[in-house]
Amino acid sequence: MMRPGNIRDICLLGALIMFAALAAPARAQAPVTADDMINRLGGLETAPDLDIAALRQRALDRVKSKTEPVALKRPRIAPELLKLPQLLVEVQFDPDSAIVRPQSYQTLGLIADALVRAAMLPYGFLIVGRTEAAGKREYNLTLSQRRADSIRDVLVTTFKISPKRIQAIGLGEEQLQDANQPASLVNRQIQIVTIAKAP
Amino acid sequence: MKPMVQGRSILLILALAAPSLAAAETMSFGDAAAILGKSCGKDIDDSCRGVNFDTNRLKDCLYRNQDSMSAPCKADYPRALDAIQKRIAARAVVARQCEYEIVKKCHGKAKEAGKSLECLLATPNVSARCNQAIGDAGYR
Repeated sequence: MMRPGNIRDICLLGALIMFAALAAPARAQAPVTADDMINRLGGLETAPDLDIAALRQRALDRVKSKTEPVALKRPRIAPELLKLPQLLVEVQFDPDSAIVRPQSYQTLGLIADALVRAAMLPYGFLIVGRTEAAGKREYNLTLSQRRADSIRDVLVTTFKISPKRIQAIGLGEEQLQDANQPASLVNRQIQIVTIAKAP
Repeated sequence: MKPMVQGRSILLILALAAPSLAAAETMSFGDAAAILGKSCGKDIDDSCRGVNFDTNRLKDCLYRNQDSMSAPCKADYPRALDAIQKRIAARAVVARQCEYEIVKKCHGKAKEAGKSLECLLATPNVSARCNQAIGDAGYR
């Protein structure tokens, strides 16, 4: 015995599941293979004149001087990075920590696979850690630096990528991916940017 | 008689080792890391919280906690960690396995594979052993 109400509930549930299935791919745009990564990271013509230490200081100065206090539409501290070949990846960390969660081991392995390919060997990369705008700005800046350093450590220690090829910087909530939604978790995505090419 | 026996045991060792040498194809870092994360994710959360994805530290921690380890992790963690080490070690073999191609076809120096890699990949008809070494190291 099935009442008409039950059938309606089942239809509603089915519609919800379909909606969820359609909505999910829109969020996950991260590359899923080493080949995808290589396509995005390749093609640097001339290496930019980037001063990583100065950029780190610029971010810290902005946080300390409390300029751009409102996160909504806050301009990126390093817009010059957007002109370079890059990819975005989601890496999960333990809360308030730089320890990579096991479900993200594969992502780091794929990054290592991409960086080892012969076509990528001449290039150097910058790992940019970021956070969404929630909590204290200075804390976020520090946490994102620790997380970027942690990814660099894994690539260098576990996968033996040359440390000369990888630099790391944390830009906290000063480099929002989506400044119209500063609290969105898309702002946590790690940016990997091609910044150097061996002569 | 003694050298004969020694000779035989060396042959036996070679015979036993040969199949593993022939099947030396390595696993990608992505696949090895995926196995580790999937089979040992819960074990790492339970027993190794605070240990980053550092193969030496993870290996130590997992080894110490073998008694309470899940069956999939126990079966998979040694082979996943081994696979990562093998792929790294494979890089050192390329210069030797491709020496002929590096010197004769790419005009490189015998022990410097790095500078000749792009040439090696673009060169048709490299030897099978050179080809396998390039693949094992993950350069392709």
